[in-house]
Amino acid sequence: MPEEPFVEIEHTADLALRVHGRDLPSLFVHAAQGMFHLMRYPPNAEGSVRLTRAVALEALDLETLLVDWLDELLYLSERNAACLERFEITSLDTSSVRAIAQGASPRYPTRSIKAVTFADLAIRQVGEGYETIVTFDV
Amino acid sequence: MVGKQNLERKSPLIWEVPQSFRPDMRVPARVYADDDLLEAVLGDRSMEQLVNTATLPGIVRYALAMPDMHQGYGFPIGGVAATALPDGVISPGGVGYDINCGVRLLATGIEAEALTAHMPALMTALFENVASGVGASGGLRVNRNELAEVLEQGAAWAVGRGLGTQEDLLRTEEEGRMQSADASALSPRAMERGLDQIGTLGAGNHFLQVDRVSAVFDAEAAAAFGLREDEVVVWIHCGSRGLGHQVCTDAVRDMQAAVKKYGIQLPDRELVCAPFGSPEGQQYFKAMSAAANYAWANRQMIAHLVRETFRQALPAPLRDAELRMVYDVCHNIAKVEKHRVDGREIELCVHRKGATRAFGPHRPEVPAAYRAVGQPVLIPGNMGDGSFVLAGTEQAMEETFGSTCHGAGRVLSRAAARKRVRGEQLRAQLEREQIVVRAGSMSGLAEEAPVAYKDVEGVVRVVHEAGLARRVARTLPLGVIKG
Repeated sequence: MPEEPFVEIEHTADLALRVHGRDLPSLFVHAAQGMFHLMRYPPNAEGSVRLTRAVALEALDLETLLVDWLDELLYLSERNAACLERFEITSLDTSSVRAIAQGASPRYPTRSIKAVTFADLAIRQVGEGYETIVTFDV
Repeated sequence: MVGKQNLERKSPLIWEVPQSFRPDMRVPARVYADDDLLEAVLGDRSMEQLVNTATLPGIVRYALAMPDMHQGYGFPIGGVAATALPDGVISPGGVGYDINCGVRLLATGIEAEALTAHMPALMTALFENVASGVGASGGLRVNRNELAEVLEQGAAWAVGRGLGTQEDLLRTEEEGRMQSADASALSPRAMERGLDQIGTLGAGNHFLQVDRVSAVFDAEAAAAFGLREDEVVVWIHCGSRGLGHQVCTDAVRDMQAAVKKYGIQLPDRELVCAPFGSPEGQQYFKAMSAAANYAWANRQMIAHLVRETFRQALPAPLRDAELRMVYDVCHNIAKVEKHRVDGREIELCVHRKGATRAFGPHRPEVPAAYRAVGQPVLIPGNMGDGSFVLAGTEQAMEETFGSTCHGAGRVLSRAAARKRVRGEQLRAQLEREQIVVRAGSMSGLAEEAPVAYKDVEGVVRVVHEAGLARRVARTLPLGVIKG
C-alpha cells in the first residue's frame, strides 16, 4: 500500500504531521498541503480569485529549507488572505528551492498556525522515498 | 523515553531525573507534581524534553517543570531554566513563539448578580469590539515609526495616548516595558506583521472572560489585590501576535548557524541557543524584549476596549464602574534577574515557557501596594472550571527562581478533544450553566473544551502545597469569548 502523503500524529498541545514523499519535491509539496489542511479553510470559496506567487529560498541545510518553505507559505497566506492549494517545485536541492504556489483569495482559515518548528525535524530516506515529522505551534 | 523508574522522589511533590540519567545532562531535571499529575506528565514526551533542557550550556541548579507541564517543542510547556550570565545561553525555544503571552486581570467592583440580566448584551458587545480569530487584524493600525515607539515603550505607549492610566503601568510586570527592547533588532517581516494587530486577541487558547470571584482563600492578600467574593472580574489572555511569532521564527532560524559557530551540541534543534552575551544572543534578547513590549501594549489596548465596552453596553449605574487593574503577568519570556545560587547572588537569564513569575514579598519588582503579600500570580484554568489568583512566595525565590505554574496545562491533543466534544454541544452545555459563549469557530471551541485540560484545582493545589505560590482567590466564568 502506498504511504499517505501526510498523516496527523498525536501532540498534546500543538499539531504534528508525519509527511511522506517519493522524492524531495513531493515531500515538500505534501508538507505544504498538510499544513493548509490543518488550517481548516471553509470549503465555500465564493467570490475569491486565483492567486499565484513565486517562492525562491536558500538555507544552510535541507531541514532548515523545509521550515523556511513552510514559513514562507504561511506568511504569504496571511499577507494575501489566501488559501494556497497547488505547489509546483521547479528546482530543489539541499540548500535551495524555487517553486510556484497557487491558491485563492480572499480565504480565511478557522485554525491558527503560529509557526513551523524544528522539533523532531529530521528528513530521512525510507525505502523508495523520504519521510519527516513536522510540528506546528498553534 | 523517561519512565517512572528513572525518577527519584525528593519530597512528596518533587520528582527528579538525576544528572546521571544521560551523559549530556549538565544538571538534574525536576518536576513538581502529585501522583495523578505525574501520570499525565509521563503520558507524553514532556519529561524527555525537560531532560533535553538540562543539557543547555550554562544552566544552573535544575531544569525545572511545573505541575501543568506538557509536551511542547524544544522546552516542555511549564518549563523553567536559568543560565548564568554572561556565558550561559539564551534560547528562543525556551520562550516560545508567542513571546509574552500573558494574562491581565481587571476588577470591576460590580456584584455578579447585578450583571446577570446584561451578560448576553455585554458579551456580544465585547465580541464585536475586541477583534479575535485567526490572523485577526482590525486592531489599531500604526505606521512603522509608531510601531518602533510601541516596541520600545510597551504599555506606556498606549497609556501616553489616553488608553489607560499610570496605575495600570504600576500594576504590570516590568511596568509593561522591558528596557532592553530595540526595534531595530526586528526583521522587516516581523515589523510588517505588527502594523495592524495591536488590540487583537487572536485564536487558539487565547480568550477574554468575564468571571465572578467564587471563593477567597487568603483574606489579607485578596484585600491587598482589591478582590472580594462575588465581584465581577475580567481576564484577558493573549500575546504578541504575528510580530512575536516572527521574532521567534527569525531567531530559531538564525541561531541554527550560531550553534555551529559556538560548538554547542544539542539533542533537539528547537533548543537552538547562543551565549547571552554573544551578538546572536543579544540580537534575540533585544528583539524578544521588543515583542514583549508589543504584547503589553496589546493587552493595554484590549483593556481599554473592555473599559469602553462596559461604558457603552451597560446601563447606569453599572456603566460607571471603574475597571481597576489587578495585575498583568507574562508566562512566555526570558528575563535577566538576580537570584541566590549556592549562597551567592548572581545574574541569570531565566527562561519561563508556560511558567509565571511568582516573586515573594518585599521584592522591589513587586508593586508597592502588593509588596507585603507578594506578587499577584494569575492562573487561567479553562472555560468551565474557572481560574485562580495566587500570590508569590519566598520559597519560590529559593527553589524555582521565583516561578510557578501558568495554567491548567493540556492533557488531550486537539484531535482527541474534538473526538470527545462537539463545539455546539459544548456551547449549549456552558449556556445551561449560565455561561455566555461568543466564539468565532465551533471546532476551535471544542479543542479548548475543559476536558482537554488538566484539573486546574489539582495543579494549583500542588503549587500551593509545594509553597511555590499561595492560593488567594478563585473565579468562575460568567461569559467567554474565544477567537
